[in-house]
Amino acid sequence: MIDFDTGLVISILASTLRRTVPLLLAATGGAFSMRSGVIDLGLEGMMLAGSFFSVMGAWMTGSPWMGLLFGVVFGIVFSMLHAVMHINYKVNGSISGMAVNLLAAAMTPLLLTIVYGLSGKSEIVTSFSNFDPDWLMGIPFLGPILGSQNVIFFIAMALVIISWIFMFKTTLGLRMRMVGENPHAASAVGLNVKAYKYFGVAMSGALAGLGGAYLSLGQMGMFVKDMTAGRGYIAVVINAFGRYNPFGALAGSAFFGFFDALQTIFQSVFPSQLVMMTPYVVTILVIVFGLKGGRSPAGTGKHVEE
Amino acid sequence: MRLDNLKSSKYSNMRSSVVNSFFALVFSLVLGAVFIWVTGYSPFETYKAIFGLSFSTIKGFALTLSQATPLMFTGIAFALAYKVKMINTGAEGQLYAGAMAAALVGAYVTNLPGIVHIPLALLVAFIAGGIIAGLVAIARVYTGASEIILTLMLNNVIILFTSYLANGPLKPEGSGVGQTERIADSARLMRLVPQTQLTIALLIVIAVAIIIQFMLDRTVFGYELKVTGNNRRAAEVAGINVSKISILTFALSGAIAGMGGAAMVLGVNYRFIEGFSSGYGFAGISIAALAAYSPFGVIPAAFLIGILRAGTITLSRTTSIPIEFVDVIQVLVIIFVAAPTMIRQILNIFKRITGKKKKNEIAGGEVQ
Amino acid sequence: MVEIVRMEKITKIYPGTVALDKVDFFLNEGEILSLLGENGAGKSTLMKILYGLTDPTSGDVYYHGEKINFRRPVDAIEKGICMVHQHFMLVPAFTVTENIIAGSEPGKNGFVDMRRARKEVRDLISQFKFNIDPDTKVENLSVGEQQRVEILKVLYRKADVIILDEPTAVLTPQEVDDLFVILRRLRAEGKSITIITHKLKETIALADRVMILRDGKLIRDDVDPSKVSTNQLSEMMVGREVDLQERRPAKNIGDVSLHVEGLTVEEDGKKKVNNVSLDVKAGEILGIAGVEGNGQTQLIEALTGLRRVDSMELLLNGEKITGASDGFLRAGIAHVPEDRLSMGLVKEMSIKENMILGYHREDDCCDRRGVLKRKEINDKGNRLKDQFLVKAPNVDAKIDELSGGNQQKVVIARAFSHNPKAIIIAHPTRGVDIGAMEYIHQQMIELRDKGAAILLISADLDEVKTLSDRLLIMFEGEIVSETMPGELTDIEMGLLMTGGHSMIEGE
Repeated sequence: MIDFDTGLVISILASTLRRTVPLLLAATGGAFSMRSGVIDLGLEGMMLAGSFFSVMGAWMTGSPWMGLLFGVVFGIVFSMLHAVMHINYKVNGSISGMAVNLLAAAMTPLLLTIVYGLSGKSEIVTSFSNFDPDWLMGIPFLGPILGSQNVIFFIAMALVIISWIFMFKTTLGLRMRMVGENPHAASAVGLNVKAYKYFGVAMSGALAGLGGAYLSLGQMGMFVKDMTAGRGYIAVVINAFGRYNPFGALAGSAFFGFFDALQTIFQSVFPSQLVMMTPYVVTILVIVFGLKGGRSPAGTGKHVEE
Repeated sequence: MRLDNLKSSKYSNMRSSVVNSFFALVFSLVLGAVFIWVTGYSPFETYKAIFGLSFSTIKGFALTLSQATPLMFTGIAFALAYKVKMINTGAEGQLYAGAMAAALVGAYVTNLPGIVHIPLALLVAFIAGGIIAGLVAIARVYTGASEIILTLMLNNVIILFTSYLANGPLKPEGSGVGQTERIADSARLMRLVPQTQLTIALLIVIAVAIIIQFMLDRTVFGYELKVTGNNRRAAEVAGINVSKISILTFALSGAIAGMGGAAMVLGVNYRFIEGFSSGYGFAGISIAALAAYSPFGVIPAAFLIGILRAGTITLSRTTSIPIEFVDVIQVLVIIFVAAPTMIRQILNIFKRITGKKKKNEIAGGEVQ
Repeated sequence: MVEIVRMEKITKIYPGTVALDKVDFFLNEGEILSLLGENGAGKSTLMKILYGLTDPTSGDVYYHGEKINFRRPVDAIEKGICMVHQHFMLVPAFTVTENIIAGSEPGKNGFVDMRRARKEVRDLISQFKFNIDPDTKVENLSVGEQQRVEILKVLYRKADVIILDEPTAVLTPQEVDDLFVILRRLRAEGKSITIITHKLKETIALADRVMILRDGKLIRDDVDPSKVSTNQLSEMMVGREVDLQERRPAKNIGDVSLHVEGLTVEEDGKKKVNNVSLDVKAGEILGIAGVEGNGQTQLIEALTGLRRVDSMELLLNGEKITGASDGFLRAGIAHVPEDRLSMGLVKEMSIKENMILGYHREDDCCDRRGVLKRKEINDKGNRLKDQFLVKAPNVDAKIDELSGGNQQKVVIARAFSHNPKAIIIAHPTRGVDIGAMEYIHQQMIELRDKGAAILLISADLDEVKTLSDRLLIMFEGEIVSETMPGELTDIEMGLLMTGGHSMIEGE
């Protein structure tokens, strides 16, 4: 039925890594948000905004790097809606997060029509090519896997490490975690609780926006309506699964990325709709059976009176 | 004085939420107009086209109501679940499940009189939506899994699975698109206005709203539901089975969304068609918010949103204005309703501006 | 003596009430001042103004003779004025060290120097002989130890003026003694200390000077605690004679009403309640004293049907009771929960709706189809509101709009009016003023004399001693002593409550 030769294994693993990146970036962003005590339910919308605006940025400037910057910036812009509603107006974080998702889902098709006059997808823009120098490709097995990744993959890996160092080794990281665990305690020692929460949410917007940019600009070179297809929600689950730790997010994303990659193999055997269901079914199983004993930061959703 | 204030606190609460919703809608429309204007279209033309339809002809009015009908179902579904502080973002999936269930009963259970066939199809849709939401609630109650993510994931699963059925085993021979067999005539809902899609589904959903509102306000179940929603721990101490209440309420919420799907199949499409819902599930969130989560308030709220949605039909026929504006306005409504302090602040800014003007006028008058 | 803090003519007006009315305040260097007053007398507000948590409506604050205007607590902290809050401001998931340094971390280039932090904290702990492991997580510490972490936070920030808000509220007698030792040590190091309290005995035992506030007004600021009795202090504090200490023992104790045998509750693999048996007789109050967290919560939950137990036989007047909390309520076991707002009331709902909570399935509230009887519920709400002196404009007022004492009266009215055979009452007067406290005590005694079996669990030792007809002490899930009230001294009780050891190194 399916032949397991090295070539296939390499292609599955390469594809796993490609599918890991957007989830990983969004989940790491979510870790910032959750660690600062703000629920990360808006990742889907921030991602979607990132994927649309990165393509638009690249289309306007002709540079994929500028596109990437657009993706990050608009990820932050959309995250600020969540931040303002939740942090300043004390709206339930699930509701404000959903508002971001719904707004991005409504805005992006509208902008597609306005900007490109097309409904459903954008024009194709210049994208990133794979990072595949000869010395890398020469490494057996690992070479071709890493060689079929583009630069955002390497940026994502670096960001995981930097994020972990920030959260657990730096002063600001310790303070941000304190805000997330007990905002009253943080306020009592003079920390500006709102500022840390804003920072956490902005980071989630930036990273989710980057993750979205990877999906559109980084892979297809175009934006397709609803192209995140629930990856932002899966990232929320991965983040909980990874205990709000960037390395946990890496492990969780690789797990989901692997299932996502398997789709391509089964696509030829089963009806496409059933195969497309797999990531969602896996997510449901993980939420119901895989998150036992996990604990979100104790101060999530709590506000401090000023 | 304080006495009088408190006596009317019930009514003043209601009034303040009506005021809040009113301004939320107005601000959303204004902000929508700004968007339209910025992108080079005429807000006046747009809103004229939208509102003109609903209020110029009976058919237009009927079209608005028929557009609003499925939204009423999903709006009540969201509002009800929110009373136990659960968020049913799964109305879209429950709608598809209910539609598929009704389509199967409508097409394959035949030789029944309409008076039996229609209720049977509705009941099966009710059960289908209820079971799906009920399972989510069970997972939520016993494992703490987020019902939001569960329902959103399930939406994808249900939409893909029903699409598989409509493209595979249930596809009628010779059909080019993903759909099921046409339902029997006995399962069709009666029309209220000839040659429109306005059917008795509207009466059914109004009845549902009244029943749910009565249940909340006047019954022990409703009382326990409100206690559970406001303070789960106090509910437990009071001997209320909060797990049971949460699961039943959420299942009922899903069941109502399922009926909405049935209403689309039995009253409009006469079969299950892949991708038939134009975001009814998520529009339900806007409507419930606009109704301040009152099940009966959903009826007028859905009508208001229905005007916008029905209006997009004329909009796309007569102008080149992109109809996606309406989706954005719907989301803006949620944002404004969710943050009543934001509305108050905006109103205060207006007041200050107008107030200053008045003061200036007075001051100016004195100088003169 | 050098004056370190001076506040002049402080007035604070909240919408509708004058919290402070031209109050003068001073604190000398190296003294322990007790700021005494009832709930709502304005003592916390006064300290919040000093600490920069809130602004005075009028009045001036001087620190070291210099006029200051703190806008945020962090300004006060920087100047060396620190507060130990009643509700600890700790992060349970952090270690002791992390809790102490967070916000003022040692290190450079934005990185935390954990090695230095640990050393500094360790030095501080040994300097004040605190006996705490700097690397344990705070969630594993006892309440007394957590308070010491709070004090360490203050010392780490080099505080000169330390304000403690109700520091003994949650401590055992031993822990209170330990705290006093620590506070005296701090005084010896030249720190100036203010404790906000309403406890008279502790004031007399600890303070160098007492200042009394009543209804937002300064009554005295120069009381020498060695020259007054507790009765004199309480009169100054309340403005009239009160005697909460008067015992009114039960006269008609009947047969065993509530019989509990072999109750064991396991949680996270630990036996939180271990094979407890007890009897409460009709017409008696059985008190249970103990440090919080020794199984009282689990005991209450088991006896009210809120929790699955590993083993228990519960008989009410000879009949076996099983099932969930609704069955317990229906059988006639009422419950006044330990935290009224999170467990006893729905603050978003009206007084009348709260008056039926738990009894809403009874015939006077609904008909057989499950439809509520609105008129009856309204009448019942009005009747109970009048009978139990709940101060509120009407029964449609939301619980949110009531004071703590009146909220508690709603809980009491509901539970007491349904003629319970037995009743479990937890911390009935926590956070209520003296007037409400007197009233609630009197109601409990009336209910007892009507023949109800009352089980009273309270962290307030005086309350348990005064009200109980029999007294149990609970430690680590077991009943370690049964006595008649008055048989044991406070010290003996404290020893029993803590398994008999002190937790701080001696002088």
